[in-house]
Amino acid sequence: MSKNHPKKSSLIEMKGVTKEYTPRKQFFSKSQNKVLALNSIDLSIEKGEIFGLVGQSGSGKTTTGRLLVRLEAPTSGSIYLNGSPINRLKGASLKAYRSKVQMIFQDPYQSLNPHLSIAQTISEPLVVHGLGNTTSQREKVLHTLEIVGLSPGNDFYDRYPHQLSGGQRQRVAVARAIVLDPDFIVADEPTSMLDATIAIQLFKLLTEIRERFDMTFLFITHNLAAANYLCDRIAVIHEGHIVEVNRADKIIQHPEHPYTKKLIQVQPGFKLGGKRG
Amino acid sequence: MALLSIKNLSIGYQTKEGILKAVDDISFELEKGRPLGFVGESGCGKTTIGMTLMGLLPDNAQILGGSIGFLNKDLTQLTEDQWRKVRGKEIAMIFQAAMNALNPVMRVDEQVIEAIVTHQSDISPNDLDKRVRELFDLVEIPRARMKDFPHEYSGGMKQRVIIAMALACNPQLIIADEPTTALDVIVQDQILKEIKIIQQAMNTGLIFISHDIAVVASVCEDICVMYGGQIVEMGTCEEVFSSPRHPYTKTLLGSYLSLDNQASVIIPDMREAPDLTLKSGGCRFAVNCKSCSSDCKAGIPHWVSLSKTHRALCCEETITRKANE
Repeated sequence: MSKNHPKKSSLIEMKGVTKEYTPRKQFFSKSQNKVLALNSIDLSIEKGEIFGLVGQSGSGKTTTGRLLVRLEAPTSGSIYLNGSPINRLKGASLKAYRSKVQMIFQDPYQSLNPHLSIAQTISEPLVVHGLGNTTSQREKVLHTLEIVGLSPGNDFYDRYPHQLSGGQRQRVAVARAIVLDPDFIVADEPTSMLDATIAIQLFKLLTEIRERFDMTFLFITHNLAAANYLCDRIAVIHEGHIVEVNRADKIIQHPEHPYTKKLIQVQPGFKLGGKRG
Repeated sequence: MALLSIKNLSIGYQTKEGILKAVDDISFELEKGRPLGFVGESGCGKTTIGMTLMGLLPDNAQILGGSIGFLNKDLTQLTEDQWRKVRGKEIAMIFQAAMNALNPVMRVDEQVIEAIVTHQSDISPNDLDKRVRELFDLVEIPRARMKDFPHEYSGGMKQRVIIAMALACNPQLIIADEPTTALDVIVQDQILKEIKIIQQAMNTGLIFISHDIAVVASVCEDICVMYGGQIVEMGTCEEVFSSPRHPYTKTLLGSYLSLDNQASVIIPDMREAPDLTLKSGGCRFAVNCKSCSSDCKAGIPHWVSLSKTHRALCCEETITRKANE
């Protein structure tokens, strides 16, 4: 873990977090095999950092993200935000927690409601949490649109998702996530549906937002190169275990765990000036 | 002679706003031993080319001109009955979404059998069994798993079955449309190696469509870079990667993240989508091009040959050439 680092205040802490899924009972099956998605995970994410979680399909990376935004509750173990436990939050305190923690989903074609205009999509969190009146909400939405690079905001305000490109939709998803000024954002493969030229622009946007608002990100991806580019630290997750955590450049240059080495080895790439061997 | 020879092919989609030229005047040739990759962003027309070669264009699409020469036939002239003899038998496709490309209520081996029997209805049961087993061995799926249903397979195994189905009739040409996009990097690596080995062993033609330039680099010898329905640069992978000439190719290569180029990544500023309606002339990339001049906007770009195999469709190149002459 972050033993080698000067102890900063950690924003998010996961201690011994385990998540089991019980498959639906099959009519003819005798036993019920539980699926252990996360096996006693310890993780701490410092304030203001972009933390990468890298792993294969089924490794538990999305489950980790869903637990952190309390879309699901852990089977055992505890999660803390700013030192206070979130496991037992209910009602008003859970609602308050959800205003502090937001999520950007993978597929911008499915994560935006096609019936809602861009303005409605971005102001929805404000409405749900009862913040401001119609005028102030409109201003906030326009301001947020400018932040995420959809300017002039007025041009996008009344549009619908189908009128936007994939990259623009993902910017709307980012706007929706930051409109409440959250402390922490989980970005679950936010660029895996986007072209390389668009993805890199979204990375730039996330970095700008981090710097401007001191927000903390968990960036979930299977692409080690993307994590290396964007993140301060990276955790490699494999079959529900975190196998390695380190600074991004150290993970790439001096991987310790065999699984990390394997991930680096299969990373596609090409060299300018010649084909990859 | 080239296995596949496409000349001045244009394909349009009928929309409310008029005809949208998804593929605009493209020409290329494909040799058997040289896998050809198509890269480009969403909507650049790469899948439309794949669908045209399978005769699977939707109803609102039409071939506006050009020819597709394949085994002494012009594929643009085939009727649906004639297509049925070609599709799956001579030209086969590896589809993108392995998760959705298999029938969930049929056992996996039955789906492969169906692919064979469709084109060889007179095959004897013994030969059929033998062929199915051969195919499962080829894509390295254990025989014990042949009778499973698709939901019992992992994503990688499903994609292997799709490959087995594509190979079922020994096609002359395989079109792989984003075959690894839904898979994670480790499985992607395995599938790419497999596609390459099988292509070499069976000596088929291969067209490999992907938005991921590194994936194309690991499978293909030659590459076509597409933008806005046009091929904007083509050549061997080595030529295109070592000396890209079209501004879009440069942008694409510059913005690709790999583990060893983190410092040199260039963040592009591409806002505008290319205008694909028929009215527009001139360079499609002009709106996003940094080195675009006024001559560029007015003129129609021409092909500039950079070597025997390497060509780029760019006005800037044309102008530089003229100045040098």
